[in-house]
Amino acid sequence: MSKGAAKPAGPVVVVEASQDTPLVWFDVAIRGGASSDPRGVEGLHRHAALLARRGTSRRDRAELDETLDNLGAALDVGVSRDAVSVSGLALSRHLDSVIDLAADMLAEPRFAEDEHARLLRETPQVLDEIRDDDSALATRWFDWVCSPGHSYGRTSLGTEASLLRIDRMSAVDTWRREVTADNLVIGLAGDIDEATAARVVTRLTERLPATGRAALEAEVTAGLPEAPARGRRTILVDKPDRTQAQLRVGHLSVRYGDPDTAALAIAEAVFGGMFSSRLMQEIRVKRGWSYGAGCALRRSRLRHWFEIWMAAGIDVAGPAVALTLELFAEYAAKGPSDDEVDFARSYLVGAMPFHVATARQRMQLAVRDAVFDLPPGYTAKLPEELGALAAEDVRAACKRQLRPDDAVTVAVTTAEQAQAALAAAGGGTLTVVDHDEY
Amino acid sequence: MTMSWQLEAEAPAGRGTTARRYRLGNGLTLISAVDRRAPIVALQTWFRVGSRHERPGATGMAHLFEHLMFGQTESMPPGEFDRLVERTGGESNAATWVDWTYYRLSLPARDLALGVRLEAERMQHLVLESGPVESERDVVTNERRERVEDDVDGWLDEQLMAHAFTVHPYRWPTIGWMEDIRALSLPDIRAFYRTWYAPNNATIVCVGDFDEPALLDLIATHYGAIPPAQLPEPSQALEPAQVKERVVRAPKPIATDRLLVGYKAPGQDDPDWAVLEIVATLLAGCPSARLYRRLVIEREAASSVDAQLTPFRDPSLLRLAVTAARGHTADEILGVIDEELALMAEKPPTTAEVEKAKAIAETDFWTSLVDVDGKAEALGHYEAALGDFRKVNSLAERLAQVTAEDVARVVRTYLTANRRTVVIAEPETDDAEDDA
Repeated sequence: MSKGAAKPAGPVVVVEASQDTPLVWFDVAIRGGASSDPRGVEGLHRHAALLARRGTSRRDRAELDETLDNLGAALDVGVSRDAVSVSGLALSRHLDSVIDLAADMLAEPRFAEDEHARLLRETPQVLDEIRDDDSALATRWFDWVCSPGHSYGRTSLGTEASLLRIDRMSAVDTWRREVTADNLVIGLAGDIDEATAARVVTRLTERLPATGRAALEAEVTAGLPEAPARGRRTILVDKPDRTQAQLRVGHLSVRYGDPDTAALAIAEAVFGGMFSSRLMQEIRVKRGWSYGAGCALRRSRLRHWFEIWMAAGIDVAGPAVALTLELFAEYAAKGPSDDEVDFARSYLVGAMPFHVATARQRMQLAVRDAVFDLPPGYTAKLPEELGALAAEDVRAACKRQLRPDDAVTVAVTTAEQAQAALAAAGGGTLTVVDHDEY
Repeated sequence: MTMSWQLEAEAPAGRGTTARRYRLGNGLTLISAVDRRAPIVALQTWFRVGSRHERPGATGMAHLFEHLMFGQTESMPPGEFDRLVERTGGESNAATWVDWTYYRLSLPARDLALGVRLEAERMQHLVLESGPVESERDVVTNERRERVEDDVDGWLDEQLMAHAFTVHPYRWPTIGWMEDIRALSLPDIRAFYRTWYAPNNATIVCVGDFDEPALLDLIATHYGAIPPAQLPEPSQALEPAQVKERVVRAPKPIATDRLLVGYKAPGQDDPDWAVLEIVATLLAGCPSARLYRRLVIEREAASSVDAQLTPFRDPSLLRLAVTAARGHTADEILGVIDEELALMAEKPPTTAEVEKAKAIAETDFWTSLVDVDGKAEALGHYEAALGDFRKVNSLAERLAQVTAEDVARVVRTYLTANRRTVVIAEPETDDAEDDA
C-alpha cells in the first residue's frame, strides 16, 4: 500500500510493504539539494550531507561506521539537484537500531572539525576521478555549458575554487535550516508493517524542527531563468591519447510534470530511448560508429536538459555530430510518424510494470514524485496519459520543446585528431578547453 | 529422444519461492521459479560458453555472439527481434564472461510465449552473413575503445588478467584483443555457433508470474525437436602455481596513481572461497573495513579502495583496486596493504569482526534476490558456472560457518606477495608525453 499524504507541518510519508525478503529500505529526501547551493559556494549541500554522515552527537565517524556494519546495514547520503537523500538498508530484525542511527544523523550530526577539513581535502580527488573518466567528464562539462545561469548548470560536487569557500558553519546552518519535518519526504519499503512504519517516522522526525519549508521554497524557485536562444555551440574538451569522442548534444527543456511530459516521453523513446530508436539505428546499427547512442529528457523538479549521448570513434566524431544534428533538426521539425508513436506508446505502457515491480521501486518513484511536487501517483498514472495522446500531440510537442538550433555539443576527445572535423560538423562556434580546467 | 521433462532438483530461491530443475531429453535444462508478486517474467538463456572456450588468435568470439544473437534469423528479418520485444514493453540484453554467456529477456507475463519462441528461434536458426557481422564487429571495436582503450580501469583489469595467468584462458579479455576482434573469420564464427549454441549446452531460467505446467509444455514444444550437439571436451588448462610477484607499470593520462592487485585465489566451488569473501569484506567491503580505514581515512593516501573476489569456476583472483590520493603513490599503498595482510595473518580477527562481515553477507544475499531478474541471474550463474543452482544457498550457508581462524589461515595461504600480480597506472609526465 502506498500513502502519499502530507500531514500538517509534517513530512510526506510513503510506505510500500512487502515480505519478499527480510529487508527494509528507507529513503529520507531533504528538499532543496544542490540547486540551492549559494552561487560561488557550489558543493555546499554535498559537503553538509557527507559531513552529517561522519558522526553524530553520540558516535564519532568510526563508531557510527562500525555500528552500522555490525548490523549488516547501510546508511548513505546522496545529493541531486533537487534533494539531499539519506538512504538506508537494514535487515528487518535490526530496523529499530538502524533507524536510531539515522535519526541521530538527521537531528544531531556532529559536524566535526577534523572531518570537515578531511572532506575538503578529499573532494578535489573526486574531481580528479571525474577527469579520469571521459563519460563523467563529458556530463560535467555539458551540465556546465548547456544553459549558463541555470541553477542545474552549477556542479553539485563543486569546483576547486568553490570548495575553498565552504566553511563548517555554513554546512551546519544549511543542515539545520533544511532538515525540518515539513521539508522531508520519507519513504519506507520492504518487510515493514503500518504500525512499525508510523513508529519509524516518528523517531526520524521527533527531534527535528517542525517547519522551515516555506523559506526554502522561495530560495529554490527564485531566479529560474527562461531559456534564451543562443545558437549552436561546441565545446571540445581536449584530453590526450583518446581513441573516441564522448559526445553530448542538447539544450534546456521542460520540467518533469510539464503538460508536455507524456508527449515528450514518447518523443524521447522514438528518437533515442529504445534499441529500435532512430539514433541507435542510424549511429550503431547502420554505421557501427558507437557502442551506444540515445537521448533522455532529464527528470527534475525544474526545467532540465534534453540530452543526446554517444561515444563515437575519434575518426568519425565529426560525421557523428553532423549526422546527429541533422537527425535532431529533422525530428524537431517533423516529429515521429504515426507508427512510431504507436510503437513507443506500446513500449512505454508495457514497460511500466517493470518500474513498479518491487516495493522499493514503488517507494522510490513515489518519493521522487513528492520531491518534484507532483500529485501522488503521477508517474504511475502516466500510462493513462500516454494512451490518450494522439500522434499529432507528440509532433506538436516536438516542435514546441526540441530546439536543435540552440543545441550545445560537448566532445571529450583529443583536439589534435578531432578538432577540424568537429569544427565542420555544423555544431556552431567551437571552443577548445583543457580537460582539467573545470 | 523423449519430449518429457525430468524433475531433478528443487530448492528455495528466496522467501516463498521454490526453484526446480527439469531436464528435457535433448539435454536442455530448465530452472523454473514461480513468483507472482508482479505481472512480469525474467526469461534467461544461459550457455556454458564464455571466453575460456576460445583459442588464442580468436579471442572475443563468445562476446561477439552477445551482439550477433540479436540479428537476423531464418524467420525474422534484421531488427525484428528487438522490435517484437520492445513493442511488449520488455527489454532484452546479454552478458558474456569467462565461463558463460547469457541472454536476458524481461517481459510482461502475458508475453512469455513470445519470449520462448524468440529464444528457440535464435538458438537454432541464426543467420550469419558478412554484412551484419561486419557492422557488429565495428560496434564491438567501439565498445572496446570505450571500455578499455579510453578507460583506465578497463586497461588495468585487462593487464591484470593478462599477466596473472600464463596458461589458463582467463588470461585474455572477454571482449577480446583488438587485433583478434578484427580478424575473426566468418567460417569460424559460424562454426562457433554450431558448436556451442545447442540445447545440451543451455539452461533456461524462468522466474516470475507464470503457470509452471504451461511453461513446461511451451518449452518442450519449441525446443523438444532441436537435436543436441557434440560438445567439445572441457578444457583442462591448469595454471601453474605462481611463485613470484609480477609487476606491470605504464603511464596514462590520469591525475594520480591507480593500483590493481590480484592474488591467486581458488575457484568459487572451493570451500575457501567463502572464507575469502569474508576477507574481502573485512579488507574493503564496508566503511569500517581495515584497508578502507587505514588508506582512505587515517592516512588519506587513497581516495577509494575496493576488494572483489571474482566468481569464476576455476581458480582466479582476489583483487584489490586502489586510487591513490594526490601526493601519494601506488608503492606506498602497496606497503600498507602488506602491513595489513601481515597483521591479519599473524593474529586472527575478533569473532565480532567476522560476525560483522557475515551480517553484511546476509544483507547482500537477500539483496540479490529482491527482483525476478536478480533471482534468475543468481540461479543461472550457479547452474552455468558451478553446475547446480542450489549452490546459491549453500554458499550462504558456508559464509555463515566461517571462523576467525579460517580467516587468518586463508590470508596466510593465499594473500602472499609471491602469489600476486600488481598493475600500476601512473600519471604521464611531460617527459613521457615527449617520448610518445
